[in-house]
Amino acid sequence: MSARQPRFNQHALYDTTPLPDSIPKVEELGASSAPLLSAAYFIGARCKDYNDDYMMCKTEANGRGEFDCMKEGRKVTRCASSVIKDLNEHCLTEFRTHWQCLENHNQQLWNCRSEERRLNKCVFDKLKLEKKIPDTPKGETPVHLRGKQIFSTH
Amino acid sequence: MPQDMPPVGGYDPVQYKRNLPARGFRPAVYLFGTAAIMAFGFYKVGKGIREHNELAREKMWARIYLIPALQAEEDRDQVRRYLADRAREKELLGTETRVYNSDRFVRPTFAVTPEHVTK
Repeated sequence: MSARQPRFNQHALYDTTPLPDSIPKVEELGASSAPLLSAAYFIGARCKDYNDDYMMCKTEANGRGEFDCMKEGRKVTRCASSVIKDLNEHCLTEFRTHWQCLENHNQQLWNCRSEERRLNKCVFDKLKLEKKIPDTPKGETPVHLRGKQIFSTH
Repeated sequence: MPQDMPPVGGYDPVQYKRNLPARGFRPAVYLFGTAAIMAFGFYKVGKGIREHNELAREKMWARIYLIPALQAEEDRDQVRRYLADRAREKELLGTETRVYNSDRFVRPTFAVTPEHVTK
């Protein structure tokens, strides 16, 4: 019988061919989910323009965003990794305690407020980046600044 | 023969009511007490829902700020694989077949896998 051997498709999908040299290289972020979540607001604060630019490029590229927006994409990645790098340089201990707390608490931000407060203070003092949640109702304390978190478990 | 007559001054009243002491508070106290407890509970629930909304907003914006970085990485990877596929096809077949009649990027559904796992 000339049947083909069944082959699992996820098994041999390694493709390590790098991008051609005509496309500039950029180092990927390389951070896992908890550090990214911990740094998300600082990435947003510093890289807002690049992010908006990239997303707008993708929207207007008419389905060719993957090719046409690579330049903007590289800027986004460079900016985000600069934030991670600065965090690692200036606020390493606070950053580390916060994302490890997130790892241990199901990535729930409200369960890690004291760590977050220390991280935010350090980042604001040294990097001048502030965590701001857009569209918070006026006249209310933003939820990350409230002293008591109703849902926190400790 | 004289008729049987009621006693002088009439009969005693018949006791048809039960003579039990009324327990507890007045009904109104219970009514308002329950209302007060319910009101407090709803107040706390409302507080919780408001805070929950804010927490959801915080989580959403954290994700929104991350999306461009994640998407850029994914797109770059897709383009890398696409270009590698094209180069491989050029090398093996000598042609560059256009599968779709459009120049949009289409995320591949099928992938050509090598016969022997090399890595």
